[in-house]
Amino acid sequence: MTTEAPVKVQTTDAVIRVTDVGIRFQRNRRRRRSFKDLFAGRVRRAKPDEFWALRNVRFAVAPGEAIGVVGRNGQGKSTLLKLVAEVMLPDEGRVEVNGGVAPLIEITGGFVDDLTVRDNVYLTAGLHGMRREEITERFDEIIDFAEISDFVDTPYKHLSSGMRVRIAFAVISRLEEPILLVDEVLAVGDRAFREKCYKRIDEMLASGRTLFFVSHSEKDLRRFCTRGLYLDRGKLVLDGPINDVIDRYNKDYPAEQ
Amino acid sequence: MTVAVTTRRASTPFSRYRQALWLLTARDLKVRYTTSFLGYFWSIVDPLIMSLIYYFVFTVIFHRGDAVHQPYIVFLLTGLLPWMWFTGSVGDTTRAFLREQKLIRSTRIPRTIWVLRLVLSKGIEFIASVPVVALFALLTLATKTPAHVSWDALLSIPAFVIEAVLIVGIGLIVAPLVVFFRDLERAVKLALRFLFYASPIVYGLNELTNPTLHVLAAFNPLSGIFSMYRASFFPAELDWFAVWVSAAMSVVILGIGILVFKNSVHRVLKEL
Repeated sequence: MTTEAPVKVQTTDAVIRVTDVGIRFQRNRRRRRSFKDLFAGRVRRAKPDEFWALRNVRFAVAPGEAIGVVGRNGQGKSTLLKLVAEVMLPDEGRVEVNGGVAPLIEITGGFVDDLTVRDNVYLTAGLHGMRREEITERFDEIIDFAEISDFVDTPYKHLSSGMRVRIAFAVISRLEEPILLVDEVLAVGDRAFREKCYKRIDEMLASGRTLFFVSHSEKDLRRFCTRGLYLDRGKLVLDGPINDVIDRYNKDYPAEQ
Repeated sequence: MTVAVTTRRASTPFSRYRQALWLLTARDLKVRYTTSFLGYFWSIVDPLIMSLIYYFVFTVIFHRGDAVHQPYIVFLLTGLLPWMWFTGSVGDTTRAFLREQKLIRSTRIPRTIWVLRLVLSKGIEFIASVPVVALFALLTLATKTPAHVSWDALLSIPAFVIEAVLIVGIGLIVAPLVVFFRDLERAVKLALRFLFYASPIVYGLNELTNPTLHVLAAFNPLSGIFSMYRASFFPAELDWFAVWVSAAMSVVILGIGILVFKNSVHRVLKEL
C-alpha cells in the first residue's frame, strides 16, 4: 500500500490540522505499572506490549469540507475522531482545531439521571460553551426537535432510551459550532427521527459547517461527504474524493458474496 | 463557497473555564438538594454529630471540661468544620475522573476542572456550615464559659485560601494517580483517618508539649491552617511558625500537583 500525497488544501486556513499524529495504547491493560512509566515524557519508544493505534497521520481540513473516515473496526477511526474532538491527546505530533466543535460522540454522556430534561439541556449546552441566554433562546427549538415537549420537567432517568438519544442529538446539533463531529450515533432512533437528523446535518453542511464523519454505512458516507480518509492498521492509507476512497476500501476488503 | 457560519461569541478561555466550573458545581449541589428532603441539613449534620460525640467523650467521660479550651464545643467545631472540607474533597478527588468518565470522554473542557469543582462544592458547603459555629458560640453566652470572638477571626480568610491551595494540590496529585493505581483510593481513606488524629482537631497544637512532636506537628500543613481558624475564639491557639510552614508546604504541594497533573493527564484520558 502506498500513501498518496495527502494535503490538498491550503494549510494556512485549515480548520482542522493534524500533523504527524501518533497515539499508542497498551495491549495488556492489567500490566503492572511503575511510577517511572507514568511520568516518562510523551515521546519515547513504544514498549513491547504497546501498539500504535495511529501513527504518522497528517491531513488538513478546509472550512466547509465534509470528511468521511473509512476503515475496518479497530483501525483507529474512533480514536482519530476523539483526537480531533480533543478529548484525547496524541503521544506525538499535533492536532490543531480552529473553531468550536459540536461532538456527536457519546452524546448522552453529560446527562444526569436525577435532573430534569430542562436542567440537563442547560447543563450540557453550557458545558459545550453556550451562554445561558443563548440556551433560553433556543430551548423551545431543541425540545420541539426532540419531540419531547411533554417531558420537559421529567427527570432524565424516566425517559425512554429513544427519547434520551433524541434530546441529546437535539442539544448538540444546536450548538451552532463551525465543526461537527459524528460517530455513528445516527444508527439509533427510529427511521423518522433518523431522517430528521440527516436533514439537520444537510442544513448544517449547507450553511458552511465542516463535517467530520465516522461511519460504516457506505450510503451515508456518499450522501454527506466529499472527501474520504481511509485508515488501515493505524495508517492513513488514502486521502481523496469519497468515491475513490470507498472503492479502494471495497477492493481491499471485498464484501463476502 | 461562502462560509455562512458566524463567530457567535468572543468568550475568553478564562470565562469558559469559569462557566464550566460553575455549571458542574451547581449541578452537584442541585443533585444533592433535589434528591433529598433535608438538603442543606445533611451537609452540617455530619460535623455536628461528630462534635457532639467528641464533646460527650471528652467533657462527660474524661472530664476535660474544666481544662484549657472553653467552651469545648466551639473549640471542636472550629477544627472539625474545616477538617470536613479537607477530608470530603480529598476523598472525592479519588473518584474525580472515574465518576465522570462519560462526560470527560465527550467534552473538552480543561481537565483541572474535574478536581477544582469538587473542592469548590465542598468549600461552599463549608462556608454554609459557618452559621453553626456562630449559633453554638451564641448559646455558650448563657453558660459560665462564654465564647468571645477576637479580631483574629479575620485570619479565617487567609486560612481558607491556604486550605484551598492545599486541597487543590493534593487533588491534582491524587486524581490522576488513582486512575492507574486503584489501590490508592483505599490508601487515601486510611491516610485521612490517620490524619484526623494527627491533626489538632480534638486537641490544640500547643498541647503537644514534647518539642520534637510540636515541630513535627507543624509540618502537617493542617496544623497551621486550623490554628488560624481556631484563633477566632482562642487567640492563644495561633502558632505563626506552624502557619508559615503550612503556607509554604501548601504552595509546594500545589506546584507538585500541577506538575503531576500536566504530565499524566494524556495517559489518564487514554485509560478512561
